[in-house]
Amino acid sequence: MRKVAIVGGGATKCGKREASWRDLVQEAGKAMFESVGNLSPKDIDSLIVGAAQPERFVFQAHVAPLVAEYLGITPRKVLARTELMCASGQSAIRYAWACVASGLSDVAVAFGVEKMFMPDMAEAQTNMTCVLDREWDGVNGLSAPPFFAMTAQRHMHEFGTTREQMAQVSVKNHRYSSMNPLAQFQKQFTVEDVLKSLMISPPLQLLDCSGITDGAAGVVMVPVEEAKKYTDTPMYIIGSGQASIGNVVNNLASLTDWVPLKLATEEAFRTANITLKDIDIAELHDCFTISEIMEYEAFGWCEKGKGGKFIEEGQPYIGGKIAVNPRGGLLGCGHPLGATAILQTVDILQQFRREVPKGRLVEGAEVAIAHNLSGPANVHSIMVYSR
Amino acid sequence: MSNAELDKVKRPETIKLPLMLDFYPLEDTKTTGISQFFTNLKDGRLTTTKCNRCGKLLWPPRIICSNCFSNELEWVDLGTEGELYAFTEMRIGAPLGFVEDVPFCIGIVKIGGLLISTRIDNAKHDQLKIGDKLKLKIVELDDRRVFYRFTRIDGK
Repeated sequence: MRKVAIVGGGATKCGKREASWRDLVQEAGKAMFESVGNLSPKDIDSLIVGAAQPERFVFQAHVAPLVAEYLGITPRKVLARTELMCASGQSAIRYAWACVASGLSDVAVAFGVEKMFMPDMAEAQTNMTCVLDREWDGVNGLSAPPFFAMTAQRHMHEFGTTREQMAQVSVKNHRYSSMNPLAQFQKQFTVEDVLKSLMISPPLQLLDCSGITDGAAGVVMVPVEEAKKYTDTPMYIIGSGQASIGNVVNNLASLTDWVPLKLATEEAFRTANITLKDIDIAELHDCFTISEIMEYEAFGWCEKGKGGKFIEEGQPYIGGKIAVNPRGGLLGCGHPLGATAILQTVDILQQFRREVPKGRLVEGAEVAIAHNLSGPANVHSIMVYSR
Repeated sequence: MSNAELDKVKRPETIKLPLMLDFYPLEDTKTTGISQFFTNLKDGRLTTTKCNRCGKLLWPPRIICSNCFSNELEWVDLGTEGELYAFTEMRIGAPLGFVEDVPFCIGIVKIGGLLISTRIDNAKHDQLKIGDKLKLKIVELDDRRVFYRFTRIDGK
């Protein structure tokens, strides 16, 4: 296996964009190419496009060659589109990494894009209902908010987690996203604001939920030996982990204990040869406030059931035990499914390069993780990066 | 000024909801190998498949055991009463086809050794609590397909 470096990356502004799916692709492509010196589209031999539901959101299939055409890329090694719902972008990163690591590809792009705002938003909600097992869970109206609402209810029931603690996750991530010009939401909120926001699916309210978002992003990967040809400040992929258990609600390992995340974490730490203490930045998948609380626990920053207390004590802030989501998270930045993991990765690269605003800069960061869950949290995917 | 002709073309105002977009499974023997589940449901029985070789209880029902890949599965009854494990209510964000039903309760019910998701039809969110007893109910669609739901057993 060859060691792989990320030499550049770029992204669109995320949000409710007055732009088409194709506009987003072009904007992110331009930003990506502008971030890497000496790189021509013709050098890229492989392109993996993370896209969750272009068939439903913009009625377009076969999207990898479409992206290639708009970016002037003519792949000669590997061209593919990856779908793993909320982790579709992470999947693109894993494939591109595997392509370069195996020696098959010399310059690979992991790209991600989603256009989620539709003329009729009920149609967008409909799309999200086939994410869980459509015939046995989706049929009961079980899309992401109701599923994570029940997860939150059980966590509150079993461990005494409070609504205030969950709201504090939203407060933290919006504080950081207010300093991120690419973020969907740049407004700060108080705990009271969160608890007064619209009830979506009790106990989850509007500010407990990540947004519906348009956005795109891309990163460029090369073998480590080639990295300095493109940049003085590459970022290295040093490990990864992924695990999945079950799919329909009955076959999940547990509603309140994310066993596959623990397995993915073990694998990521083993392959990167790190421990929890080595991590300086954790970009975690906060699709809902309860998700981030359960992730503090599964990674091991706090004991099982103490995730609420962990945020209450301010431990996941910059300067605390671990800087969680200094980008602003999905709660603050939005969640354009296929692009989300790539956006996390671009921000980690900018953290290492000290290109982010001071208020959310993690001083001296050396090691970062990017995590995504997908579906009913039955799949967890992690990449480990170092400066 | 261009001499290009301007013509108007019509699109249909509405399109009939295709079967694959209405959420409920197709259930006759021509479309699925687990048609028996729906036949049983029409008789008021909530059932699933159990493997005769390894004994694994499988949900959702299927045609081959995912544990030992045996084809010898039998239909077993899960019972008609369960206990509420978790619940919430769809207030905002219902998919097309369910928008008229909002708000409606969704739960996970413990029944026959399984945890299955369900609609809860006769209760508002603030009337429910974890541990409530629920009773099986069957709903029939206008094309005669059926599906299961649950209702709260009154009388506290």
